[in-house]
Amino acid sequence: MATPLRIKRQRLFSPWLFAAPGLLVTGTFVLYPFVSTLVNSLTDRRTLLPGHFVGLANFRELLHDDMFWTGLRNSSLYVLGVVPALVVLPLLLALLVQKNIPGITFFRSAFYTPVVASIVVVGLIWVWLLDERGLVNSLLETVGIGRVGFLSDQWLLLLSAMAVTVWKGLGYYMIIYLAALANVPRELHEAAAVDGAGPVRRFLSVTVPAVRSTMVLVAALSSVAAFKVFSEVYLMAGPSGGPAGEDTTLVMLVQRTGTGLTGRVGYASALSVVVFAVTVVLMLLVLRADRREET
Amino acid sequence: MPKSRRTLAAAAVALILPLSACGSGDDDGGTQDASGKVEGDITFQTWNLRANFKPYFEDLIAGFEHKYPGAHVKWVDQPAEGYPDKLSADAAGGTLPDVVNVSPDLVAPLARAGLALDLDKAAASFKSAYLPGAWASHQIPGTSGTYAFPWYLNTGPLFYNKALFQKAGLDPDQPPKTYDDLFADALQMARKSDGKVATLANVPTIEDFGRYGVPLMNKEGTGFAFNDAKGVELLTEYKRLYDAKALDPQALTATPESSGKKFLTGAVAMNPGSALDLGNFKKNAPGLYKNIGITDQITSTGHANMYVMGVMVNSRTEHTPAAVAFAHFVTDAQHQMSFARKVAIFPSTAGSLDDPYFTEEDGTDETRVRIAAAKSLKNAVNYTPVLFSDQMKTALRNEVAKALQGKESPKEALDNAVETADRLLRQG
Repeated sequence: MATPLRIKRQRLFSPWLFAAPGLLVTGTFVLYPFVSTLVNSLTDRRTLLPGHFVGLANFRELLHDDMFWTGLRNSSLYVLGVVPALVVLPLLLALLVQKNIPGITFFRSAFYTPVVASIVVVGLIWVWLLDERGLVNSLLETVGIGRVGFLSDQWLLLLSAMAVTVWKGLGYYMIIYLAALANVPRELHEAAAVDGAGPVRRFLSVTVPAVRSTMVLVAALSSVAAFKVFSEVYLMAGPSGGPAGEDTTLVMLVQRTGTGLTGRVGYASALSVVVFAVTVVLMLLVLRADRREET
Repeated sequence: MPKSRRTLAAAAVALILPLSACGSGDDDGGTQDASGKVEGDITFQTWNLRANFKPYFEDLIAGFEHKYPGAHVKWVDQPAEGYPDKLSADAAGGTLPDVVNVSPDLVAPLARAGLALDLDKAAASFKSAYLPGAWASHQIPGTSGTYAFPWYLNTGPLFYNKALFQKAGLDPDQPPKTYDDLFADALQMARKSDGKVATLANVPTIEDFGRYGVPLMNKEGTGFAFNDAKGVELLTEYKRLYDAKALDPQALTATPESSGKKFLTGAVAMNPGSALDLGNFKKNAPGLYKNIGITDQITSTGHANMYVMGVMVNSRTEHTPAAVAFAHFVTDAQHQMSFARKVAIFPSTAGSLDDPYFTEEDGTDETRVRIAAAKSLKNAVNYTPVLFSDQMKTALRNEVAKALQGKESPKEALDNAVETADRLLRQG
């Protein structure tokens, strides 16, 4: 029979034992790299050469690095362009496929397909479509508009990459909205209809308030993902980040600066710290906006 | 211990732990002496060669192990994509293989980090077996040694689409031989095709500046110099081509692969390549293959550009004699020659290029390309400075793009590129 002291001791350690595997994984793969990045950002470490402590020199250099400002601009524009679309369009799509009518499963699956497709494959397909001699330009030429430099103009390239991100993300957020819509009481819609509200009014006055917390969640998730965008822009604009590197995003800059045999690990770490700080601020802003709405 | 202090202590440990990894690199393991008995287990890493040459390398390794029964070679191959990243991860993690396939620009940072064996000390007796230029290609300015055995060389002609030349009113049997011809023909091609067919698909790279006769570095090798009048002249010409769509509008974001595809589809009229490409044309673009024209690389210096592959020995290998012996075995005249018969590459060993295989015609296009390339290799130059890192290449490419878009003058663009490259060079 266990003594009270032993039981007390076991109660003290048991929770830690249960948490240990998770803590170990988080500590090894999240916390240690995070702290290591923080420390590296204060050094001039290179890939093959050990660094020395340089204080905030890397952060001061950032302020005078044109490419950093280009990256910050593009990543911020990406958030502004992608997040509203990813908050609204999947909701409309979810409303479309919400009803249980014959064959609706096909459409739900079709809308979800881009989510499971490899981003590399998706990127290559869109590059072929938008190429100077691709399908889209051929169609535009046929209808007399002429060729458009989707992949050679700095702004069109960024817009095209945003379009791919939205297209690929629609299905994922649609599923989240479908779950939220399932919890909206049918009586509310019926009552609003009896009161004479049309579909638009019911959408604005019943559906939107009911899924508002889900919209905040989608905004938070998509804004962080959009700020950290890499694959879409890298695949469509190329490793150089578009013409003159003008489409480079912050994460692309981290990759370009910190990798390879001559990579500037210290400087790239400083860039990563900035990316982290901005994403935290983004999350806080979204959550704060949500709280303000609630009060 | 109060909770806040405990938290503080944990944070301090977390901060100190990574700092402990940030000390000076130890020179552990390895010896410079290659004179001992050839024995032990070594690892040999190649760069994307297993898919096509597995039997060749298995025979090569079997031959070495037969010659040196005490030695065992483990062969690993890495994909082409991300090879420098793989090397840097291995080098940083202390898991760099004993013998590594490298190019001169990859050797430079490894040598500066003390990870490449100095062959002038460890294998000086083998030096005379290689072409002097090839041996020198793995010497790094600022250091005194040679850090890899030269392996195979490559150079290539300029391919052009005769049908597109004919359509543009150009003589398909008179391809451009000088830069002036090239620029004039390209402008005519763009004019006649209404801007639909470009002649060139890539923006000028550091090699192009070298081939145009621009001095790339100062005489001391301490700074870059491609922003001189000649460099500005070349970029100004490219700007003219870009404005006239004689340089493909997507050139600013092109990669060698994407421009190769444009040449295959007839969107671009000329493209540099190697004898390897003929097979690709035959298989993937038979229409183009029927109309393929082959001409020499255009150069103002009289020296074609060549690419050099090398085999480096890890200075921290525990089996230096075996690693050096194997690196030499892979790159000696006999094995380079047998590799050259399997694929369109050229040996870097002295006298090999005089072999009838590289001098006697048999009437096929492949042989014609091979003989022309072997001839040009005798005085070819690896224009890319070994210290010109990937970051520097990106900086040059971005500045060139700004000049072509008219955002900067060619002079401003090259001044900025040189300033950035010099800064990166100083940072080491």
